[in-house]
Amino acid sequence: MITVLFFGKLAEIAGAKTELPHVASTDELLQQLRTSFPLLAAEKFIVAVDKKTITENTLLTDNCTVALLPPFSGG
Amino acid sequence: MDAATKTNRVMERKPKNIFVQGAIAPAFIADSIAKHSSKTTIGGHNIFLGQVRADLIDEKKVAAIEYTTYEELALEKMHVIRQEIFAKYELTCMHVHHSLGTVAAGEICLFVFTSSAHRRAAIDACNEAVERIKTELPVWGKELFEDASHQWKVNQ
Repeated sequence: MITVLFFGKLAEIAGAKTELPHVASTDELLQQLRTSFPLLAAEKFIVAVDKKTITENTLLTDNCTVALLPPFSGG
Repeated sequence: MDAATKTNRVMERKPKNIFVQGAIAPAFIADSIAKHSSKTTIGGHNIFLGQVRADLIDEKKVAAIEYTTYEELALEKMHVIRQEIFAKYELTCMHVHHSLGTVAAGEICLFVFTSSAHRRAAIDACNEAVERIKTELPVWGKELFEDASHQWKVNQ
């Protein structure tokens, strides 16, 4: 099972957390998420797999946590 | 490895929690300053305080900002920032506190406090810490308007 966490504005679109079985890669995951939540397509975000931000397609293993992080606005 | 070394290593690795629920009270800041009076190698402090601004956007006024974070990632990232800043500047100490939850306009939401023997290190380290906190920490601010609508804050 892959756990997906959404933050900031993205949590308003998709909820804070969802779980998906059998997703091979981050590209596949994002494709599934964009189908389930079409509004995600218009949003800017970076992706972290197990708390490491990634810049290209990444293979996922069971029990991975993937986080979608919109632009930071702390302080 | 003896017990003391082990304890030190664990302490080094464990990220400090920088987050506080709600606004940072001025009394907490005063107390934090007072605690440094026993550290007599310090010759200069630098403090940055972030305050929630009542921006006017399309004739609607920001009443408060609600902060959320990806806490595990934010604390790990802050730990790295802290280590890099200590490696770069001759600091005696650095303290960082960031609000989560709702902070009303006019209240303090970020407190960064650096101290060093001579002022330049404290000033430069504080500036760098604030910039890095704003750009690198996974924290999000939701601007709540007086009419209960909201928009997501964008950092400049």
